[in-house]
Amino acid sequence: MTTALFVPCYVDQFFPHVAIAALTVLERLGVRVDVPEGAACCGQPSANAGYAREGHSTLERFVDVYAQYDRVVVLSGSCAVHVRQHAGEVVAHGGADEAGARVAERTTELCAFLHDEIGVQRVAELGASFRKRVAVHIGCHALRGMGLARPSELQVRPFDKVRALLGAVRGVEIAELARPDECCGFGGTFAVAEPDISAKMGRDRLRDYRGHDAQAVVSTDVSCLMHLSGLARRERIGLPMYHVAELLAGTAGVA
Amino acid sequence: MSQRSFELPVLGRPTPVDHPKAAREFNADVARTDWHDESLWFVREKRDRAAASVPEWEELRARASAIKEHALTHLDEYLVQFEANALANGMQVHWARDADEHNRIVHGILSEAGARRLVKSKSMLTEECGLNPYLEANGIEVIDSDLGERIVQLRREGPSHIVMPAIHLKKEEVGATFHEHLGTPEGLSEPNALAGVAREHLREKFLAADATLTGMNFAVAESGGFVVCTNEGNADLGMALAPVHIASVGIEKVIPRVEDLAVFLRLLARSATGQAVTVYTTHVHGPRAGQALHVVLVDNGRTKQLAREEFWGSLKCIRCGACMNTCPIYRRSGGHSYGSTVPGPIGSVLTPGLDLERYASLPFASTLCGSCTAVCPVKIDLDRQLFRWRQHVTEAGHTPRAKTFAIKTSVALFDRPRLFRAAGALARFGLRLMPGFIARMASGPWGRTRDVPPAPSQSFRAWYRTNRPERP
Amino acid sequence: MSELGARETILHAVRAARPPAVSLPAPRIAPALASGQPSLLDAFAAAAMAAGAAVVIAARDEVSRLALGADLTPRNVLSTVAEVRTTVPPSQDPHALDSLDLFVADSPLGVAENGAVWVATSDVMHRAALFLATRVVIVVDAATIVPTLHDAYARIDVRAHPFGAFVAGPSKTADIEQSLVIGAHGPKELTVIVIGTNGESGAQQASRR
Repeated sequence: MTTALFVPCYVDQFFPHVAIAALTVLERLGVRVDVPEGAACCGQPSANAGYAREGHSTLERFVDVYAQYDRVVVLSGSCAVHVRQHAGEVVAHGGADEAGARVAERTTELCAFLHDEIGVQRVAELGASFRKRVAVHIGCHALRGMGLARPSELQVRPFDKVRALLGAVRGVEIAELARPDECCGFGGTFAVAEPDISAKMGRDRLRDYRGHDAQAVVSTDVSCLMHLSGLARRERIGLPMYHVAELLAGTAGVA
Repeated sequence: MSQRSFELPVLGRPTPVDHPKAAREFNADVARTDWHDESLWFVREKRDRAAASVPEWEELRARASAIKEHALTHLDEYLVQFEANALANGMQVHWARDADEHNRIVHGILSEAGARRLVKSKSMLTEECGLNPYLEANGIEVIDSDLGERIVQLRREGPSHIVMPAIHLKKEEVGATFHEHLGTPEGLSEPNALAGVAREHLREKFLAADATLTGMNFAVAESGGFVVCTNEGNADLGMALAPVHIASVGIEKVIPRVEDLAVFLRLLARSATGQAVTVYTTHVHGPRAGQALHVVLVDNGRTKQLAREEFWGSLKCIRCGACMNTCPIYRRSGGHSYGSTVPGPIGSVLTPGLDLERYASLPFASTLCGSCTAVCPVKIDLDRQLFRWRQHVTEAGHTPRAKTFAIKTSVALFDRPRLFRAAGALARFGLRLMPGFIARMASGPWGRTRDVPPAPSQSFRAWYRTNRPERP
Repeated sequence: MSELGARETILHAVRAARPPAVSLPAPRIAPALASGQPSLLDAFAAAAMAAGAAVVIAARDEVSRLALGADLTPRNVLSTVAEVRTTVPPSQDPHALDSLDLFVADSPLGVAENGAVWVATSDVMHRAALFLATRVVIVVDAATIVPTLHDAYARIDVRAHPFGAFVAGPSKTADIEQSLVIGAHGPKELTVIVIGTNGESGAQQASRR
């Protein structure tokens, strides 16, 4: 089984430590991972901005690069969902017609991969610890698109894969929030198209976290963290923020 | 499905709705935004508790969606069946292609009956058609009898929510409106007292009405009747007293059978307000003795939406408002910011079809979080439709040129990995050099409220090449 | 533009526009009531009270006393039940009922999941009274309480009368800053008198004011 890791453009450029942590976790779990070059982006930003057609070439590139892998692990819920929902619409260059659909079906997000295919037990063997009270933010696409937890609207049996993974980190205490899954307000181009509501939504999340004595924020999506931490820093709120991978790798709070 | 009730038709193109600007103005009052947001969130929570009390909730949603899809894909048959049964029940049935025709039909019925005083219960359709100003211009007194609608009517505003029309108003503001129009003492704002005054005021109107107009929550083809749901009993007071009853309905509201009502009614009030059922669920299957009952079936763009492969699912809507209550953007910008009769997520998928240029900003007033899709009792894929409308907006050229340029530039970068790496390195290098405040200014709307991320010296790709040289 | 033209235009547009057929879902199989669930009567009473109604379980001979209440001075009363006398003069004009104090009626069916009772009539005075009266009392037999609306629709005939309504509680509104006001435009009080059968499990007098 060949596995590739896709590191989204903004993580590659601005949050390399998260990608390093994700890679470290996968390697320690014995997953042999390639990080192929050639596809910087999955096409989601263009598509969500209304330029799905223009973004097709980007997605085609993605399919080209990742078509050969049995599994594509994406370090972002929103990118993973975009690929799963739209890769089937493109045709790989020089490849079979179904390459896009195949890539779509084989693409998953990191936490989903760790929970479903590695298992919490093996993740616990990493021996990670993080003795803090954390607020958990599952990105909306990771939540409702990847099915990482039961969304609060749905009347189905509760489950939470992220909470289960964090249960494998010694010392983590999870803060119960007033609104466990309200959107953080990033929304890609929404953050600049509707900046006032975007900022308000983010501030309201921060208020919920602080109101429940969270000492740190943990998320499945760096895009959400980029938005929330940008707000926190501007307002001089000291609330460290980490990706789940950083807790599992033991690099959270370490330089 | 768009006209605000107090907009007069204009020559030339109306100004496009600027949702971000309206949102900025709304958010200027932080405390009020919090109040509005909390009020609607509270209703969402009530919905959650009501839904949790029905073990087969998700099954009901699936059934409701399937029944509506069946009805819409057989709509002509059910409309014909409804008409035949309604006529057999002693109703008169009219058809209106658009808002204008609807208004003329209603006016015609009123004129023929010599009616000059009309009492209305809630009908978003008539709001959409601009019925009130049309009738008023023709000398008919129109009284909206739903309390929330009456309040906004007195204030000469449109409703800001399809179920809770005055949700954007504080009791002091209602008190001021009643003081101005109903003679209540200045400063009186206690809701029971205000509602008591409204009760007396509207009771007079019900008793004096020459005619009443209601909407329909559901039109049942099998029985030729319709259902009207209220908590106040206002629709019923109108129907029980006035000699003429006009019932206007969008053609998409027809459902096949009486038994289907159970599915929708079990979902409707729970989704809308968290109640198990509204106080009154009235079934009308014929005129009262001595009364004339007219039904007006209205298209006004619905057949156009039905023809849209990507968007016809939006016609399943049963007007519960749950999508508005759950939408973090609606809660923080208010219904008026959408500039459309129906606001919120459903408004943003129904309205652009009427005038894409005018409503171009609405599909972007969303983070595509998907909460609306998850609460919709008839499983409309709202977030997917919002995404698809965005493609139509840009294809039609209604996006600012700067944005198009920015996207095309970024796509060009992503398609050229070396160029992307160089650009990224340059950006990081620049950020490390620039003092914070310049970085803030440089990042435009992002930077007004947020810091940019600290710039690392090395990208992940660069680290990987150095630290995993043997790996692809 | 003639209206006949409108009908044909619209139907033609619908036929041209409609998407490929979707079939009706298969008939629903009602879930069995789990053991340990509250009885239908208890569920009905709880739901009716949550909607703001007063609920009393009584025998038929108590109806008059309960309907008229503690205050037995003559008032404007319209009643369709034998146990309570109508005091308003006969009329065919519903407007005459504007100052009606009390309306009493029988209901053939109650719905446990939402505390509603079905009230249907062809009588214009009874229909108006249901909404004009300040107080409404509905009498329903415990044996006619069904679990859900699915069961209700299987038993009632909506076409039997031009008017029929599920009524759950007194009229209300929350349109002024979400504050609940009981007695919006319609009645301010609703009392449901449930004529109980013997041996109902756990049925006690369940009244609330």
